[in-house]
Amino acid sequence: MAKLIIKDLHAEVDGKEILKGIDLTIDQKETVAFLGPNGHGKSTLLNIIIGHPRYHVTKGSIYLDNLNVLEMSVDQRSKAGLFLGMQNPVEIPGVINSDFLRASVNAHSKKPISTYNFYKVLDTSTKELKMPFDLATRSLNEGFSGGEKKRNEILQLLMLEPKIALLDEIDSGLDVDAMQTVADVIRKEQEKGMGFLIISHYARLFELIKPTRAIVMINGKIVIDGDPSYIKRIDQTGYEFIKTELGIEIDKEEIDMNKVSLGECGIKEIIR
Amino acid sequence: MKKETLLFESELIKFESRTISLSDNEQVQISVNENDTNRIFISDFSCGSILNISLKENSKLQLSFLAKHNFDKSEINVNLEKDACFAAYFADFSEDKEKLKVTINLNGEGSNAVWHLASLSANRDNKEFNVNINHFASQTSALSDNYGVCKDQSKVVFSGCSAIQKGSHKSHTRQNSKIMVFDENCDAIARPLLKIDEKDIEASHGAVVGRIPEDHLFYLTSRGLDESEAKRLITYGYLKPITRGFFDESVREEIVKLIERRM
Repeated sequence: MAKLIIKDLHAEVDGKEILKGIDLTIDQKETVAFLGPNGHGKSTLLNIIIGHPRYHVTKGSIYLDNLNVLEMSVDQRSKAGLFLGMQNPVEIPGVINSDFLRASVNAHSKKPISTYNFYKVLDTSTKELKMPFDLATRSLNEGFSGGEKKRNEILQLLMLEPKIALLDEIDSGLDVDAMQTVADVIRKEQEKGMGFLIISHYARLFELIKPTRAIVMINGKIVIDGDPSYIKRIDQTGYEFIKTELGIEIDKEEIDMNKVSLGECGIKEIIR
Repeated sequence: MKKETLLFESELIKFESRTISLSDNEQVQISVNENDTNRIFISDFSCGSILNISLKENSKLQLSFLAKHNFDKSEINVNLEKDACFAAYFADFSEDKEKLKVTINLNGEGSNAVWHLASLSANRDNKEFNVNINHFASQTSALSDNYGVCKDQSKVVFSGCSAIQKGSHKSHTRQNSKIMVFDENCDAIARPLLKIDEKDIEASHGAVVGRIPEDHLFYLTSRGLDESEAKRLITYGYLKPITRGFFDESVREEIVKLIERRM
């Protein structure tokens, strides 16, 4: 049974420290609800685990069993059993979804999958996700609705069968029926033994998939690592209790201003 | 504004197809009679070749080119009469120095033309495609669609002018040029140009020259593809759409193999 172990992880993006010492262990059979306000480092952690080149690890370690994840290339991490279902999957014109899926499946196996077997698996998986089969024949994510993109992420998860799946707001853009479908797929994979670390701002998905644990990230640190009851509490009362009970001041999300703004141009001293 | 579809492949299935090849410095004249529909495959295009094409009233022609050998200093000249329709697909996998000049004259009212190019340059290839489209009559329409992949120390230039002349009202024209650059020593230039001398028209262009976006590579590699395989898939997706202009399955397969081999 695989285990993802993160120790004292510090990371920055564009010179700004985002993660300030993460300690986290996830067993393959767990489903961990990953909570926290926007802009506190949740997506950053998931991207670092999978190896996004924009993020720079300054300290700490990530191991998948005895494999040093930080020393592996992005594709090696995928082949080792890690998967990131992305918040905003990119559109890649010209790359046909089924060509990409087949290349991905082949990258994960020693022997290339036969055309017959590939389309059989693809057909079964698209039916399970109630996806129109023609999505597989179109350019990768190009012109897909928000919900179709998210289902396409889950389709890839089904076909690649990772050990531990990291899902970043996989429920955003899904209508009620689609969320139920995605939740059904996640439940089946849970039963098969796939581990999950799932970011969501809504309790609805978590009600359907029953996480085994909840963690909360504030100011680049995990401040709560406990039972799933925190999901309901946060859904009903927000994060205010973290300040009142734990004494942690929650940083406000920084929104970049345009380099030129009325505030700067309108000041006489600057004009002089 | 006339905006009916510029493609007519489905109509062509019932028509006989011809295959021709051009020798060095050979001049060939192709004429399509009134109301006729034809499709022609140019299996090879050679240095100094000149192809003159004339489409009579309400005729249609689909022309597809597979360039595997040198075609430097070659020309394609097309003249369209009223309501004539022309579609060209040029798949370039040649090596070395090449310069092709294309001139499409939309002389008759309601005529329309599409030009599709997919070009792969590698090593020290030096290629220039100069595609000019002249709208001489009203309600004419044209699309110039050019895709290039530039590797190693090669150079590729997409240039040309789409000109809407006086009297060509209610016409529309579009130029697309995209070049994907793989290596630091590549030289890629997209130089679109529009000349407008009439009101009540639509004209636009788009030009993109750049590397494979980092987020595209990250997405594909995060699914287990190594970087070279991810690049291959993106390039393949970039050039493969040209195959839809080739009616022979074996030629389509040959193009796919050429992409694989030269990548």
